Amino acid sequence: MKTATTDSRLADSASGRSPQRPSRLREGFTINPQTVKQWRRFRSIKRGYYSAVALVVALILSAGAELLVNGRALIVSYDGELYFPTYGDIIPGNTFGRDYEYETDYRDLKALFKEQDRGNWVLMPPVPYGPLENDLIPGYFPPYAPSFESGHYLGTDQTGRDVLARLIYGFRIAFAFAFLLLLCNYLIGIAVGCAMGFWGGVFDLLFQRVIEIWNMVPSLYVIMIVTSIVIPNFWTLAVVMVIFGWTQMTWNMRTSTYKEKTREYVLAARALGASNTRQIGSHVIPNTISVIVSFIPFSIAGGIFLLTALDYLGFGLPPPTPSWGELLAQGQNHIVTAPWIILSVGISISIVLIMVNYIGEAVREAFDPKKHAYYQ
Amino acid sequence: MDCPAKNIAALAFGALLTAGCGSETNIHLELGTTHEPYAPPETAVVLPPIEVREGDGLPDTLPEDLVWITNDEDPVFASPDAKRGGTFHTSISGFPLTLRRVGPDSNGSFAGFLRPNQFGPIALHPDTRRAIPALATHWAFGADGRSIYYRLNPKARWSDGVPVTADDFVFAVQFMRSKAIVAPWYNNYYTERIRDLKRYDDHTYGVQGANAMPGAEMHGSYGIGPQPRHFHVLNEDWVANTNWQIEPNTGPYQVTKVRKGKYLEMTRKADWWGNDLRYFKHRFNPDKIRVDVIRDPNVAFQHFLKGNLDTMGLVLPQYWHDKATGAAFDRGYIVKYWFYNEQPEASGMYLNMSDPILADERVRFGIAHSMDFERVITTVLRNDYDRLSTFQIGFGDYDNNDIQPREFDLDKADAYFDAAGFETRGGDGIRINDAGQRLSFQVTYGWPQHTDRLVVLQEEARKAGLELVLDLKDGPGSFKKMLEKKHQIAWSGWAAGGLAPGYWEHFHSVNANKTQTNNITNHANPRMDPLIMQYRASTSLEERVRLARILEQMVHDSGVVVPTFRVPYTRAGAWRWVKLPESLAPRTSASMFSAFADTGGFSGGGLFWIDLEEKERTLEAKSDGESFGPTTIVNTTYRVQPAS
Amino acid sequence: MTSYFIRRFLLIVPTFIGVTILVFTLTRLVPGGPIERMMSEARLAGDETAASSYDSQGGSTLSDAQLEDLKAYYGFDKPVVVSYFEWLGKVLVLDLGRSTRYSDPVWDTITDRLPVSIFYGIWTLILTYGVCIPLGMYKAIRHKTAFDNVTSAVIFAGYAIPSYVVALLLLTIFAANLEWFPLGGFVGPDFDELSLIGKAGDLFIHAVLPLIAYTAGSFAFSTILMKNSLMDNLAAEYVRTAVAKGMDFKRAIFGHAFRNSLIPLATGFGNNISLILTGSFLIEKIFNIDGFGLLGFESLVERDYPVVMGILVLSSLLFLIGNILSDICVALVDPRVKFGSGETSQ
Repeated sequence: MKTATTDSRLADSASGRSPQRPSRLREGFTINPQTVKQWRRFRSIKRGYYSAVALVVALILSAGAELLVNGRALIVSYDGELYFPTYGDIIPGNTFGRDYEYETDYRDLKALFKEQDRGNWVLMPPVPYGPLENDLIPGYFPPYAPSFESGHYLGTDQTGRDVLARLIYGFRIAFAFAFLLLLCNYLIGIAVGCAMGFWGGVFDLLFQRVIEIWNMVPSLYVIMIVTSIVIPNFWTLAVVMVIFGWTQMTWNMRTSTYKEKTREYVLAARALGASNTRQIGSHVIPNTISVIVSFIPFSIAGGIFLLTALDYLGFGLPPPTPSWGELLAQGQNHIVTAPWIILSVGISISIVLIMVNYIGEAVREAFDPKKHAYYQ
Repeated sequence: MDCPAKNIAALAFGALLTAGCGSETNIHLELGTTHEPYAPPETAVVLPPIEVREGDGLPDTLPEDLVWITNDEDPVFASPDAKRGGTFHTSISGFPLTLRRVGPDSNGSFAGFLRPNQFGPIALHPDTRRAIPALATHWAFGADGRSIYYRLNPKARWSDGVPVTADDFVFAVQFMRSKAIVAPWYNNYYTERIRDLKRYDDHTYGVQGANAMPGAEMHGSYGIGPQPRHFHVLNEDWVANTNWQIEPNTGPYQVTKVRKGKYLEMTRKADWWGNDLRYFKHRFNPDKIRVDVIRDPNVAFQHFLKGNLDTMGLVLPQYWHDKATGAAFDRGYIVKYWFYNEQPEASGMYLNMSDPILADERVRFGIAHSMDFERVITTVLRNDYDRLSTFQIGFGDYDNNDIQPREFDLDKADAYFDAAGFETRGGDGIRINDAGQRLSFQVTYGWPQHTDRLVVLQEEARKAGLELVLDLKDGPGSFKKMLEKKHQIAWSGWAAGGLAPGYWEHFHSVNANKTQTNNITNHANPRMDPLIMQYRASTSLEERVRLARILEQMVHDSGVVVPTFRVPYTRAGAWRWVKLPESLAPRTSASMFSAFADTGGFSGGGLFWIDLEEKERTLEAKSDGESFGPTTIVNTTYRVQPAS
Repeated sequence: MTSYFIRRFLLIVPTFIGVTILVFTLTRLVPGGPIERMMSEARLAGDETAASSYDSQGGSTLSDAQLEDLKAYYGFDKPVVVSYFEWLGKVLVLDLGRSTRYSDPVWDTITDRLPVSIFYGIWTLILTYGVCIPLGMYKAIRHKTAFDNVTSAVIFAGYAIPSYVVALLLLTIFAANLEWFPLGGFVGPDFDELSLIGKAGDLFIHAVLPLIAYTAGSFAFSTILMKNSLMDNLAAEYVRTAVAKGMDFKRAIFGHAFRNSLIPLATGFGNNISLILTGSFLIEKIFNIDGFGLLGFESLVERDYPVVMGILVLSSLLFLIGNILSDICVALVDPRVKFGSGETSQ
């Protein structure tokens, strides 16, 4: 696959890539042999591949976190009838013969059924606590240390909420946030970046200035302004962050497009009378896909980092949303008295970001067809 | 540390508003930036005489029939064992923005070091709450019920040696009314509340206020402090020119060294004029006070553990129970002090009556019964705090102790919410009324450290079918929202303090539905208004106490305030060499280790001293690993039994 | 190419105006400006509540005229455009105004912090490049060995753990418990009395922990960049040819591959001059260093607009000039790069 000239390779060496032949993405659903090769290469890079597997498993598990970590029971068998409280509306306590109208306390119910021994039973998830529940014991002061007996495997935070539950739900939110940012930033970035690179001229010059200007604006102020109008939530924060996040990808795409544009095959396509859309759609973008793909893991890591930092500083999602940044802030205050908080969240962040970075490395290598030379 | 409102209150109280620059006390100013040397005027500036309105004004000559009073019979509260000397090390979290006592940014945390060193004509005894002499030796009340006359102590001096005279008080009014100081609230106060101030001779003057009130409280409202007229040039550059000037003061300490961004040092005046006064003797003992800037509270605590700082406030349960542990405590190098005090407090959830749903008192009562404060106290707050029973408390006789706060009771909440039309529950367990409105309110607050308490309340309130949406904003942001009355429920506190509770600003209808007033509940009750005015106008203590109790009951009955917590104590850790009197502190003390006179409006500070021999012993023991045994001293003399 | 760089320099002007006008407008929209801060401070004490014992702040509200006076004092009385151009006019004669918090000239406030920030900026730079280039090279040569794997894990861990957590851990362990280093500060309290060597030692011992915290996160990017680009070059025909022809491998690396591998690092080099204006405020807060990060963040949060704008002026200029410097660096390192012929690189 050594198709590139020395020259272009050098130009690309910043990210260790070289161009591919235009692949025919529009030819039905047959898998491109190129893609198969890349996938094989990716699989052969062990630490990246295993990180990807682990992360995907973690994501799938966290998507169904309600079934694993939850204060609501999985199944309740009461008077011969089965209830599945996990999803949907709350089931008030009086459904199960308790004397209250609010949501059933399933842990309590489980203990009660066991005591009554009338054939009723409750199946709780492995971690029987939700991320918002304050499991407080009057007279004992949170944070409670990790304990198998209580089911708080990583202990609780300073208001008695399960650290593991908050970690897992926080992970889900952080990833969703990062994915959403990625999607929006890349859509805008690819569209604007391609246009800048392809058309160049005044349009390019104008947007270059816009991006330069945009990079200097303190996003914290925009968040403060938004916060003063509405209580920030997942979506408003994401919108603000996209407003400031699109520039990076745009810049990268612009540079890549510039390079591809002057390549022989694009020039040839143009000489053959291909429309602008066709030139971009079937020639430029497919060839920059390696750039795009190799940036994805770093964007994900960046997105997670961003939300964590915002939460840590108190400009993120409103309480009591489970969040890693909030756990970090708590952990910092309890660094000596309740080290399990900072350890749990610190190790989690590190592992996730390391895995994401390994994946990124592997993806980059997989998309780079050159065999690296290394000598003993 | 825990209650910002309280801190700011403490600062505001010390506010004898003055400015000045010392030259005699060996001032050694090291500033990072260079300033033009500030030249005090050779002669005092001629200012226009104090404008007096129609119907106001003091007599031209001193009335003959005045009864001059002083106070030399109240108990002395400083310890005669106190030793003078040593350096007291403390810290602040940010370098002050200015060394002025008035004007923009003068309300920062360093104001707590500057203002208490600026004395007024009288001070308040920290046990008896009666007036005691400070700059004045005697005082007398005028026949009109709204004027006081003071006779100054001829020994009183500014820090540059200039005598304090009645002219400085005349100047204070002119100064405070001047636009040059960019302090419109002071401008207003000295125009609206202070109506006249007249000099009779060098050491005698009278002051007249807007309305009559009992004598004791008149000191508080009209007993303004002096300003050094020999120092100030009031022009439009005043704010910038004086920003880093050390203004002359009348208290025992003066700033002597400033390293911008790093630390400040204050020095005890060797021949301070107040040294031998009955209530100032054996007080203000350290020779120097070194104030380091340590921005991160965790790091400040590390400095304390190392002995770089002498004391550390331990009011927060987390600090007292968790952080203040380890070898230094177990071996008694650091002693823990817990003092139950009597400090006015007012913190609560303030429900905005202009919200259509909160306008219904049944909803307000329902909310009050859905708040499980007990649970917060017994867990997150570690049984340290008490439930607050009324809107404000801590004013001695004025307190209405008959009121029981609405307790957490789901049945009662149920009944109230049902009656208000919120009978059915939605799929998420939150109540809905027939119009489809959810029983959901935003709680606006500005202190991230209160999130702990709120999330517990929030979870428990769900049981009642009530949703609280937490609206955490940064400090100024939350305050803006409350003062613009855009909140639904405000979680806040007021700087309560002094001698008597106030109702007009919080509950009178003239302040309702207007932005920028303290009536953040938009409470308006035509039955209550006249009583408030009567309370305001009354000069009889008995009458005022009676009315205050009625008013407090009416506030309770309206349900617009859900009182939250009360911190019934002050707590601190101190290295063994910092000594306190046996009783730790006087009744009203807000802080045991305040180096200066003022602690929350009363003159109860400056009682501790540094024992240098003990310091040597302690450090020796520390390096040898020798133990004195853990020491915790608790004084519950003034503990008020909690309401519930 | 000269004309290209001249054009780039000229383009600084519209960009600079664009940035400043945008941020200037934003500052007018942010809630809780200096007037509101003043109000909230005054508000917390009431009228003739007991509070007024000593507190002389009236409970009455400010009149419109008084509010206008305050607005005029802080310069909010004129329309945004007018006050923007007034501000710009002053900037042109190097007057950045006065801080609304310190009442000090903004320029002094900024220059006060410069020595500290430059010190840390330069050392961070030296450490980052000093570690990343050799480490990246070594990792490239030892690709996929245990050394490569372990160092990757370490630098990624450093990258992943937030620097403020690193800072706090370092301080707790090495300063508070082991007492090897002082508890923060830029220099010790008795710095002025020390000899020259003593001063250097004092500075060093105070700088160790903050520098670790500063740099821990910055190794990953540059090291990996260096590694990848060196590997690319080692794979290139010209190096292979050289080695095949019998050239010593060391010489192949240092004589040929090394210089070309520096190009990607060089593209980012110019931007480092804005490094002196960044600095993490959290690290500075924890180590009690009165630097730029702290000033920048505090001025943002406390709405000290003149300082915000002053920092913006400096940082945007440095950033824009840094971009151009990067291009010049690239041109110096890589003689084949020709700017101005249609393709601009960043």
